[in-house]
This record gives sequence, structure tokens and C-alpha cells, in this order.
Amino acid sequence: MKFFRSHVLVSVDPQCLEMGAHEIVDTLNDELVSCGLIDEIQVLETSRLGDPTRFGPDLVVYPENVHYANLTVDDIPFLVEEHFLKGRVVEKFRAKETVITDDELGAPKQKEVRIVLRNCGKIDPHNIEEYIAEDGYQALANALTSLTPEQVIDEVMRSGLRGRGGAGFPAARKWQLCRQVPDFPKYLTCNADEGDPGAFMNRRVLESDPHSVVEGMIIAAYAIGASMGYVYCRAEYPIAVANLNIAIEQAREFGFLGNKIFGTDFSFDLEVRMGAGAFVCGEETALIASIEGKRGEPRPRPPFPAVKGVWGKPTNNNNVETYAVTPQILLHGADWYSSMGTEKSKGTKTFAIAGDVVNTGLIEVPFGLSLREVIFDVGGGIKDNKKFKAIQTGGPMGGCLIEEHLDLPLDYEALTAAGSMMGSGGLIIMDDETCMVDIARFFMEFTQEESCGKCTPCRVGTRRILDILEKICDGKGTLADIDRLEMLCEEVAKNSLCGLGQGAPNPVISTLKHFREEYIAHVVDKKCPAKVCRSLIRFEITSPACTGCMVCARNCPVEAITGERRQLHVIDPKTCIRCGICAQVCNFNAVEVLS
Amino acid sequence: MINLTINGKTIEVEEGTTVLNAARQNDIKIPTLCDHPNLTPYGGCRLCVVEVKGMRVPIAACTLPAANNMVIETETPALRTSRNVILSLLFSERNHFCPFCQVSGGDCELQNAAYDEHMTHWPMQPQWTNFPVDTSHPFFILDNNRCILCRRCIRACAEMSGNFTLNVEERGSATIVVADTNVPLGQSSCISCGSCVQVCPTGALIDRQSAYLGHDKNLTSTRSICRGCSLGCGIQIHTRDNRIVKITGDYEAANAGTLCKSGRFLPVEQNRTRLTSPMKRVGKQLVATSWEDAFATLATNIKPLRGKIAALASTRLSVEALSAFKSLFKDGLGSEMVTSVEEGRPTALQAAYVEKNGSSIEGKLDTLRTADCVLLIGVDLATTHEVAGFYIKRNIPKGTRLIVIDPNENGMNDLANINLKPKVGTDEAVFNAIEAAVIKEGLARTDAKTTKVSLADALKICGLAEEDVKDAARMLAESVAPVIVYGKGITFSSQSSTMDAMVRVANLVGASDSERKGLFSVKGEANSLAASLLGLEDVFEVKKLKAAYIAAGDDYVTKRLLEKLEKVQYLVVQASYESELTERADLVLPVDIWAEESAHTLNVDGHLKLAYAALTAPEGVRSNLDVLNEVARELGVTVNDDWHAALTKRTSVVELEL
Repeated sequence: MKFFRSHVLVSVDPQCLEMGAHEIVDTLNDELVSCGLIDEIQVLETSRLGDPTRFGPDLVVYPENVHYANLTVDDIPFLVEEHFLKGRVVEKFRAKETVITDDELGAPKQKEVRIVLRNCGKIDPHNIEEYIAEDGYQALANALTSLTPEQVIDEVMRSGLRGRGGAGFPAARKWQLCRQVPDFPKYLTCNADEGDPGAFMNRRVLESDPHSVVEGMIIAAYAIGASMGYVYCRAEYPIAVANLNIAIEQAREFGFLGNKIFGTDFSFDLEVRMGAGAFVCGEETALIASIEGKRGEPRPRPPFPAVKGVWGKPTNNNNVETYAVTPQILLHGADWYSSMGTEKSKGTKTFAIAGDVVNTGLIEVPFGLSLREVIFDVGGGIKDNKKFKAIQTGGPMGGCLIEEHLDLPLDYEALTAAGSMMGSGGLIIMDDETCMVDIARFFMEFTQEESCGKCTPCRVGTRRILDILEKICDGKGTLADIDRLEMLCEEVAKNSLCGLGQGAPNPVISTLKHFREEYIAHVVDKKCPAKVCRSLIRFEITSPACTGCMVCARNCPVEAITGERRQLHVIDPKTCIRCGICAQVCNFNAVEVLS
Repeated sequence: MINLTINGKTIEVEEGTTVLNAARQNDIKIPTLCDHPNLTPYGGCRLCVVEVKGMRVPIAACTLPAANNMVIETETPALRTSRNVILSLLFSERNHFCPFCQVSGGDCELQNAAYDEHMTHWPMQPQWTNFPVDTSHPFFILDNNRCILCRRCIRACAEMSGNFTLNVEERGSATIVVADTNVPLGQSSCISCGSCVQVCPTGALIDRQSAYLGHDKNLTSTRSICRGCSLGCGIQIHTRDNRIVKITGDYEAANAGTLCKSGRFLPVEQNRTRLTSPMKRVGKQLVATSWEDAFATLATNIKPLRGKIAALASTRLSVEALSAFKSLFKDGLGSEMVTSVEEGRPTALQAAYVEKNGSSIEGKLDTLRTADCVLLIGVDLATTHEVAGFYIKRNIPKGTRLIVIDPNENGMNDLANINLKPKVGTDEAVFNAIEAAVIKEGLARTDAKTTKVSLADALKICGLAEEDVKDAARMLAESVAPVIVYGKGITFSSQSSTMDAMVRVANLVGASDSERKGLFSVKGEANSLAASLLGLEDVFEVKKLKAAYIAAGDDYVTKRLLEKLEKVQYLVVQASYESELTERADLVLPVDIWAEESAHTLNVDGHLKLAYAALTAPEGVRSNLDVLNEVARELGVTVNDDWHAALTKRTSVVELEL
């Protein structure tokens, strides 16, 4: 591995690429060559650095930690000459905010333990040598040369690793089942079809540390006896796909993939299959259908994929995170891993925190931390000092939990018992200005669009549930609608074919359980307590506060506000479309939202 | 065997049976919409959910394999509620205004299921989208407004015909059935086999011919055999007031419900004019006469000519009629020209081979369904014998490989792994080349080491590239169950040496050996094989014969035949429809059509099949067999009515199952 004086990390996320990031990389290299600095300064491509809409295209120079933003190709010769040749920071190119943060994944916050995310942002994902320098492929070498497949399974079994896709089935148990099926060849699939709104743990690992997934898959393939593997990644993750392909190619060059790996009799190869962004393809039988080139629709189990999977052959499917953590378990031992977490949920878990919390982004914490610790310590508490109202765990098929659940330990069983689920690790935190009926409607809108359309309860049932929720949000609901909603939720959950339909009603069921009074307020009082549902709110300008400055009237898109200069203004409720612009532009907080 | 309990009743079923089928076998009714006995289970509609002891939630019975000691309940109040909700959801999804629908009132499985659940109204407000009705197809209509997205049509298109035209587009409540990439059906890759229409549970796919002509309960259904080609597919003829309303595939028959356009739609569309009275030529005019007079006229004109009559029969005639025809003209009258309209073109070559070698060489239709590699030569299964093509096409996604050898465009070209386009008339060289290539590659399954013709010489004659022939040779020889399908392109105008070469290749690649018979010829029309067995294989020529007797039945007449008959002095035509032939005839004897007689056909792989009459013949019309027998009596000939024995006089190319 070569050592460099400085590293230049250029953001190549899709938006920066569109703005010419690759041209900047090329020019940088050209300039460094012509200045004779190419052996001292290394140019690397990395995923997003700052908000591309504000900074892109941008780059960071380490170890100086200087963030240059809004660059053009024409800026580069000057930048190279000044910064790298003369050693002077070019102030005019510097990002306006001096602190640059990886807004997806900052420095570890308190109580975080990073195992899966350990290399993210630290190593160059395009360079296998950097991964190897971080002990990469050492676990694979150990496994292949000194452990039998059974011993690998045993070690992972003892670590207590559970599948990170959501169901939490013990990973090693799954491997064992697949290993025992007397049918060949066997296949390995990696579910990288992360589709929960707001979740991007897997994307980040694939983009920033693809080799950990590749290594984990090779180890699992060895344990199972699989000869071919597929990473099923959604096409919306172009960088993840590109980096994975680079990683696979490099692993092949280094002899980690292909025939007779490490000179043993074990052979295995990997291929990336791109999905077209159907949420349901995260369901393993739909994923398998899609890998085979068919329409991504789930099928009933049995037969389970361990018996009949890809091309009708035994197949083991795990999530990105499960594979990524496997090498670490073998490297540091089952005891090390199982020392973290709770009795039944061992190790760490990555989460994507979103919503009304101070620190949004990715975190990795040991199981057993309470929701309170996650929200208030790791997440930094609720934004703008507002009150916590609810947290949605487990993505769109999970449920919402409330204040009384905050001291629950984060583990598979506790969340399920509380009426929600672990899922793949999306956490959406809501403050007290969130309307829970609206939230239920939002999730239902998502699942009904993402239903594959195969089974009646999910295809039609979610649509009818959404109809009722829309009706309630529209102020046209009745108490009978709430009963009908409950009945439909129960039937859809009970009779749907796959996990998508079975879980789709969860947000409705849990909000009905914890926030029934909000539903009642919508249908009986025709009020939205959180003042969110447009049909149930009105805007009013209040007397002493209004100075008659006319700003609201000028900004109203439908000219619903009238009033003379320096006189109290009035909103005509019949014309008003409740867009809220008046409240935003008023400098005197004179516009009040009423319900 | 598996023992399970359904609704307290212990039943025994074979391993691998689904719970739904286990219930069906024991007359326990579980409602279902997406499941169809002839299609793979899908598990989509969820109407068949049952409670399984020990399971948390209800399970769809159609996809649940029965297991030992399983305890199933199908009629609990909770399940009835679920079914009600599922049906309500389906009714709320699209336009299911029953009174306006063609199948309403008995033929709609959705409506029937709702009645079975005692539903009287839609509990859920429908919020349907209005879909345009696709009327672009000549034989049926796709109305997505009536569709319940059960995917039966899609599965039928794939699993029955292997055509993969129908599929769904979009997701969730926007899901919709489309043809190809959402093009109108009439402009799609649809081949009009109509299997989708036959399996549709609602009025989403309706057949134009039978639309609004009555429900199934108004129709009489008769099991019969299609006379469209030699395959002899089982059909159900549905009639009302003595006319065919529609034809559907017989699920119980070997074709398991699958038919092609020529079997399902074309026979219903009959626009030729029927002959209903015997006619004789008086001067230049054909005038109607009585049967007595017709036979008397025949006797007067034909009797003196005994032995000088050229006789020709259609291979659409029943086995009985063909046998009587042969017995009358060849054995009875000793005519030197007694043959069929096919003149042995699709059969004579292999019949001669078998006669020389003594035992049957051809396999059954079933070999096609299990083949993992098929070589097609001299036949286009996309235009003739289509159902045999379906057996191949539906297995292609499962890995069956296809080699098409045809100098011309072939409908199966696009599906083939290898297309070989040799020079016209060089089939023998093609087989010689394959033979040499198999031996050269060391893949021979027999101990053959040398060939008469070298690979290079053979390639020079047929004009194929060495690599292509080697690929084909490897593909054939390396498969487990290869099948060679040949047709008229080979049998017509080939030498016996071509047949020898083909059989050598079949042995060499393991298509034919002591255990398997993977050689298969599609032959010609319905009773092509029977005509061959009866020896009706000569090329028809009138020569110096004075009279001709044409038993055309309901067949069409070719120009070539008319030309050949130009110089005949006295022409007798036995036919069902008016044609140029009957216009030329001196005596016309009107006979019934295929659907009006209960008679046998001997299909392509030697199965004798009995078809029942579905229609009554018009007054004044007699059956083909009757007329031949009457003619025999009139001419003083005894007709041998033991047609079974007549069929077994020659060695058959394929084992007979009489």
C-alpha cells in the first residue's frame, strides 16, 4: 500500500456527478501529474460530503481537513498550484460553513459502537488494499484454511447473530438448514433491496465498505456449500452497484472469488443483480423471482428458499448487514460479539434515524439500549425543544410506539411484544405537532403503491384502508369508518400472502391503539388536534399582533387575505387553500392555526 | 399416502396433494377463484383460506401441501367473514355490475362464489377506474373492468400454450392485465389459441363467437375429438339448437384443455353452403333428386366400369369410412387407383421404412412434453399441428433447447437456440453432417465409428457452417431426452436414404434406443395415420380411367385435384359442402360433417379415439359410412366392416393403441 502526503476526497454522489464531479477528478489528476505531485497526493472518489445542492461539486483535503465547495473544472489548476504546490489554503473556494460533516454518518455519538459501519468514510471503497489493511479478508483466510464449514456455522451460532433483514431468524441456523439440503448447486443471495422510506444503512455499507459484504458472503457460501451468489441491489443505488462491482472484480483479481479460493477446493463467484425498485422484492421469494428475471412477486412458503430458491435450488438469503458483520465475528470471536446486546439479541444494529430529532442519519448501537437513550442521547433529543410524541420502528410495516415504551430495551422480542417490530432498522421520530392519522395515511399510501398486486387482501384491501384514511383526514369520516378500518386491518393482516400485506395495517392498528382519540377528534369533532390535516384547519390573523404590514396579503397565492395598510388583515376561509404561506411570512406571529 | 382431517372427516390423499385438491377429491367444497385444476397453484385470490390447527393465521388451501395429521377447518365463522371480506374487496375493485355482463347468471365464478356466501349486495363502496375495453382481437375481447387479476389467463398463456403473451403491468391497485408490452391484443404476439378465454372465471375475457348466445346451462356439451389435424385433441362441442356455439378443450383428454385456433375458433366459423339433397347432372344442369334415384343413377353409370374407377378419399373421414372406402374400391372393385387426398406425402416415407425394417420407430406425443432438446425438421409447428408446438414452447423457459432446421422462414425460428438453414432438398446431407459431427466430437451413444459421408462433403452439399452443425450435434447428443420431430418437408419428395440417415442420427444421439422412442412425425390431417395403414398412399392420377369417385366429406378441395379431374368422364362426389368440385360432378351425394357423426379417429401417435356426434345432420343428408355401404350394395360388393383388422394389416410406424 502506498502512502501519500494528502488525500483528496471528491464527492461523486449522483447530484455532484451531474454537476461534473468526474471531470473535476480527471482535471485534478491531470494537474497533479503536470505539477509532479501525483505520487504525493491521492485523489479518491467518495460518496456525499456535504449537501450537494449547497456545496456540490465539492471535495475535502485530508489531513488538512479543508472543504472546497462549488468547484468548476476551471478552478482546479489554481487550486492545485496554491494548495498543493505552494501550501496555501484557497479561501475563496472554501465552503462557507467551515465544519464539514458527513450528514449521513458523522463521528460516532455517545453510546454508539461501530462494527458494521466501522470502515464507512474511513477507507477508499474502490481499493481492496485499504480494506485488507483494516484486517479485511483475514477472517475468510482463517475460515477457509483452518475451519470446517460446520465450525464456521458453530462460531456464528454461538455469537447469537440474528438475520438483520427484519425477522431476526438466527443466521447460522438458516445456514445450517440450507447446508443440510441434499441438492446441488446451492445459491447465496444478499438482500440489498433496502426500500423502507428513510432507511439507508445498507446503501451506506455497500457504497463505503463493499468488501465487508463480499467477504461475509464468501464465508457464508463456504459454510453452506454454495457455488454462486447474487447481490440483489436496487437500481436506485447506482453508486452501491458500481462500488460492489468494483469490489467483486478486485476480489476476483486477488483470488478471493473464483475457482479454488486460497488454494482450497472451495469455489464461489458473485454477481450483482439490479432490481427495478419494487419494495416487495425485499421479500425473499419475490427477490428470488426477480433474480430469475421474473416479475417480482412473492410465492407461498413452503417450499422455503433453503429447499427451493433460485432456479429451484437450495438458496440462503441474508441482509447486507448480516453478511457485513460476519467477518468481524470470525475475526474477534463469538464471545466478543455475544458480549454485546441482550440475552436474545446479540451484537449491534444499525439504524437510520429520521424525523423530528436533532441528529438524523445513521447510527450503530448495541442491542439493549433503550429507545429513550437512542432518541435523546444518540439522537440528541427532539428538534426545537418540542415534545416527543411517537416513534415508528420497523419501517412502513412496523408500528408506532409512545412515551410509555421509551424505556423498552431495543431488541427483537421487546419491540414485537410492544406491537411493533425491529424491521431492517428505520426509526422515525415524531414530535407533538404530528397528526397520527396523517402518519397512518402516509404509510398506507406507501404500502398500497408498493403492493405487488398478487393477492386480493393486500392489493385491494390496502387501497380501501387508504380510502377510509383519506376520508377521515378530509373530515368526512364517521365512527362507522373507524370500525370498518379495524375490520379491514384485521382481515388484510390475516389473509395476505406475504409479509408486506400482513404488516401493512400495522401503522393503522398501532395508531388506533395509542391515538384513538385523535381519530375520534377527526370524525366526531371534525378537528385535527395536531393541526395538520388541511380540511380540518383554518388560518386566522389575530388582533394586536397584526401590524397590517400586508406581507401576508402579498404572498397569498389565492388572494384570500384582505385589509388596508396598518389595519388588521382578514383571511377569507372560503378562498383560503390552507397552504400556510401567510404564517410562514408573517414577521409578527400574527397568523394562528386553528382546528 | 397422507392422512389429514378436514372438517372432522379423516381423508387419505397422495403425497404432494394440496389441501384444496384433497378437499376436492373428497367432495368438500372450498371456494376459490384463482386456482384452476389444470394450472399451477398461485395463491393469489385468498378465497380458499382455511384454518390449520397450530397455525397462527389462515392459510390458502390451494398452495398448502397436505401433511400427515393436519387438522383443517373450512367453515368457521371467522373464515366465512374473511371470505365475505375478500369477495367484497374484489367487487369493490372494478366494475362488477353483474346485470350488464355476459357471463352473469351462472357462468361467472365470482358471482357464483358470492351467492355461495349468501351475499346480497356490495358492502364496500366501489371506486373503480374505467379501463378501455380491448376489442382488437378477432376472436375474443379483453375487458379489464371485469378482471379480478387471478392470473389464470396469464398462467394458461404460459403453461398451456407456452406463448407468454399475457402478463400484468404496474403494481398494487394499478395492476392490470396486458398483452406483450401493453399493446392491443389484436396487434400482440397472441396466436389465438383461446386458452385464456377458457380459463377466465369472470367476463374479463369473452369469446366473440359465443357471446350472448346463452349460458353453459342452455348449451349441450358433447365430448369429441378435433379433426383439425392429426393430433386428435380432445374437445367439448357446445351446441344450442343444433348449431355449434363454441368449442372448448377437454381437460380430461391428453391435451388437457389446450387447443389451437384451428381447433377452437375456426370450426365455429363455417360459411360454406351445405348440400342437403343428392343431385345428378341432367344436360348441363345439376338437379336435385332422391337418394333412390341417385343410387340407381350411380349403378347405371359406374357398374359397367368396375375396376376402372379412380377413388380418392379425404383423410378427414372417420376410420370407419376410410376402411369401408378402401374395402369397397380396392378389395371389392379392384380399382388400380385408390388413395387419399394426402397421397402419402406426410406418411409414405416412414411407412416404407417400417415395412422394410419390421418394427415401429416412432414415439408418442408424450415424449415431446418431457424432451429436454427438440430438433424440428421439415415442419413449422407454429402454422400446423400447433398444439405439438405448445408442448415444446411451454418447456423452453424450463430449459428445453430447440434446434430448427428449415431453409425457409419458420415460426419457431425466434425460439430456437440454433437455427440451421440448409440448401433446399439437402436434408440427407444435413443428417449426414450431424452424424459425422457427433462421431467426430466423440459424443456417439452407439459404437458407430465411421460414416459413409465425411463431414466436409456433407457440409459442402447442404451449405451449412461446420461450427453450427457441431453446436447442434453437441446440443442433441449431450441432452438426456432428445426428440426429433419431422414433417412433410422431409417425408414428401425425400429418398429412403434420407429416412435411413435420420434414424441413424436418432440412434446416435440417444433419441431412439431400446428404451426410448424420440422420433416423431406430425403426419397430416385427422386420419392421416389410418389412411397410411390402409395403404391409401398412392399419388392420385386418373390416367386412362373413365370414372372417379371422390369421398371429400367436409374437406376443402384443392385446385390441383380439380385439374387432375378435368378429363374424367364420369365424376361422383360425396361431399358436405358446395364447391367447385361438386359443380363439376355428375353425381353429388350429400354427407354429414365431422361434428354430426359418432365415429373414430386414429391420431398421430396411434391412439384410437371415439368422437360423439354433437349435431344432428340436416334432413336428406347421410353419413359417409352409410353412403359408402349403400354404394357397395348397389355395385354388388361386400364391404369388410372389421376396420380394426384392416388397420393392423401393415406394420405401423408408431405402436397402435386400439
